[in-house]
Amino acid sequence: MVTFALHGVGVSGGIAIGRAQLVSHATLEVAHYVVPASRVDHEIARLELAIDEVQKELTELHGTMTRSGDLPGEFGAFLDVHWMILNDPTLSEAPKRIITEQRCNAEWALTQQMNVLIDQFEQIEDSYLRERKADVVQVVERVLKRLMGKPGSLPTSVAEERTILVAHDLSPADVIQFKQHHFAAFLTDVGGVTSHTAIVARSLAVPAVVATHNARQMIHDGEMLIVDGTNHVVIVNPDRSVLSEYRLKQSELDLERQKLKRLRGKPAETIDGHRVELHANIELPGDLAQVLESGANGVGLFRSEFLFLNRAGLPTEDEQFEAYRAVAAGLAGKPVTIRTFDLGADKQKAELDGLARVAPNPALGLRAVRFCLAEPKLFLTQLRAILRASHYGKVRLLIPMLASVAEIDATLAMIDQAKESLRERGEPFDEGIEVGGMIEVPAAVLAIGGFLAKLDFLSIGTNDLIQYTLAVDRSDEAVSHLYDPLHPAIIKLIALAIAGANRAKVPIAVCGEMAGEMTLTRVLLGLGLRNFSMHPAQVPTVKQRVLTSDVSAIRPVVERMKRTDSPAKLAALLDKLNA
Amino acid sequence: MQIREIRLRNAKGLHARVAARVVKVAGRFRSRVVITVGERRANARSIMAVLMLAAAMGATVRLETEGPDEQAAIEAMVAVLAAAGDRA
Repeated sequence: MVTFALHGVGVSGGIAIGRAQLVSHATLEVAHYVVPASRVDHEIARLELAIDEVQKELTELHGTMTRSGDLPGEFGAFLDVHWMILNDPTLSEAPKRIITEQRCNAEWALTQQMNVLIDQFEQIEDSYLRERKADVVQVVERVLKRLMGKPGSLPTSVAEERTILVAHDLSPADVIQFKQHHFAAFLTDVGGVTSHTAIVARSLAVPAVVATHNARQMIHDGEMLIVDGTNHVVIVNPDRSVLSEYRLKQSELDLERQKLKRLRGKPAETIDGHRVELHANIELPGDLAQVLESGANGVGLFRSEFLFLNRAGLPTEDEQFEAYRAVAAGLAGKPVTIRTFDLGADKQKAELDGLARVAPNPALGLRAVRFCLAEPKLFLTQLRAILRASHYGKVRLLIPMLASVAEIDATLAMIDQAKESLRERGEPFDEGIEVGGMIEVPAAVLAIGGFLAKLDFLSIGTNDLIQYTLAVDRSDEAVSHLYDPLHPAIIKLIALAIAGANRAKVPIAVCGEMAGEMTLTRVLLGLGLRNFSMHPAQVPTVKQRVLTSDVSAIRPVVERMKRTDSPAKLAALLDKLNA
Repeated sequence: MQIREIRLRNAKGLHARVAARVVKVAGRFRSRVVITVGERRANARSIMAVLMLAAAMGATVRLETEGPDEQAAIEAMVAVLAAAGDRA
């Protein structure tokens, strides 16, 4: 057996070691044969049975999903559509005719009919409806797997905790099933940070690598795999030395995690008595369990873009309200900061129901709050939903990418308008809801006075602040090496923002990736930051860092970091800080 | 037979969610329910047929119901299609 490595995008960190379990593309492996006339009825009966079984399976899934209630509402709608497709005579009846006429096996007949339907879908002009052919394929695959004696898309293995799932892509139905099984890791050929696979993997805290291009073809069932989600790599058939090296790494990680777990109930306080708030960033209501387990003081950033996932239209007010309320109520008094839609540049679907625009430079175009202010109906709907949720817990509103006082004024006016319409409807909400702004644009830092005067709190989004300050798009491979959180300009900007807010006694947090990076914890502490918001999995590590830090010793070093323009000196000072 | 014409206000026309609702509601009646867009006709009880109608934004949709409960059926279908546009 040859050892080789596959590279992809690690969308959920950690190390998993286990055996490959291929989720097959059933349509590619269908047998074609002619059945004797006497067996035609038998073939039809096989098909009917398989369809019947898949129907039951989908109904059951729908039930479990409604009960657990932690997946985006659109999954349910898609299960409905799948169920209906299965019931449609074009799929349940037409193949029977093909079996009778051509005397072919059930699998072959079903595939033929699927191809007929796909052809019809491809003639549809509307790109969204054309893509619905994928639903037909997914439904057909489920039936084919039944026919071929592989129940469901999910192999039921004895030792699931050591099984690594390898698939081309995962359907919403697959994803729901994974929630109930315990796989060691996921691997898919396609996908990105927001694919179903990525979201589920993160919420289950298991490693996942997507976009491996051809893992499904390169890997065979039962092969030994090491999935390193942190380093974006998969090692197939590792030899004994590699395996033992990774086993060691894995047990070190486990040990570390166990130790950190014990810190859960402990308040984050530095050696010299500075209290620090550690909050969690989440992207789905279902991430709440992980937040509570991490011991975070609340949710510092609830990204609301998930509402656009897997769906065609815009999310309704009620649908949004339900999602926000679930988190607000679930936190039992701890605060949740809900960020309004940060759509536009990179994180949304290419087309938003007719609101799609082609921008020459999307990062500098109509995105985040600019987009919301340009689409008042969409923005007001979201604001009303968030305000309504504020009746059920401690909710704060966070506005992304503000760059000028005019934008703040326009946004506050919209919030007032949303409040007014709720008062007219007689809906309760927190009249004193705090409104904060993201500091993501250098202009916001340099003219922070206007922000401090009008907003209740601030939150520094370091990812965008770095992108806009250094003019570097991190997702562009040609320049991604220039993306540097430790660029002297970045340190100066963050220092300026924190000092300004602290002087005005306006709470300020950092919610970008820098907040969860433990090598930078002391830099931020030294700059005066007392509120960090990060992925829930990072809370324990950062807490441990806080507990072992002494602000009075850190501060003089950080003062020197603020003053220097030399990257080399900065790096040396950072080493000193972390020594 | 009952006939009604309505203009779809939903930006996505008959997207999957609405299509699913159309099929569900049509299935509740004993009457035959047919949707026509342009020259294409579809049995409203078939999800595939409804999806393939691909009623695009602003499309005018013609509804026909025929059977013992045709009056109730047409009212219900109009309600589903009209509500679809308001829910965005």
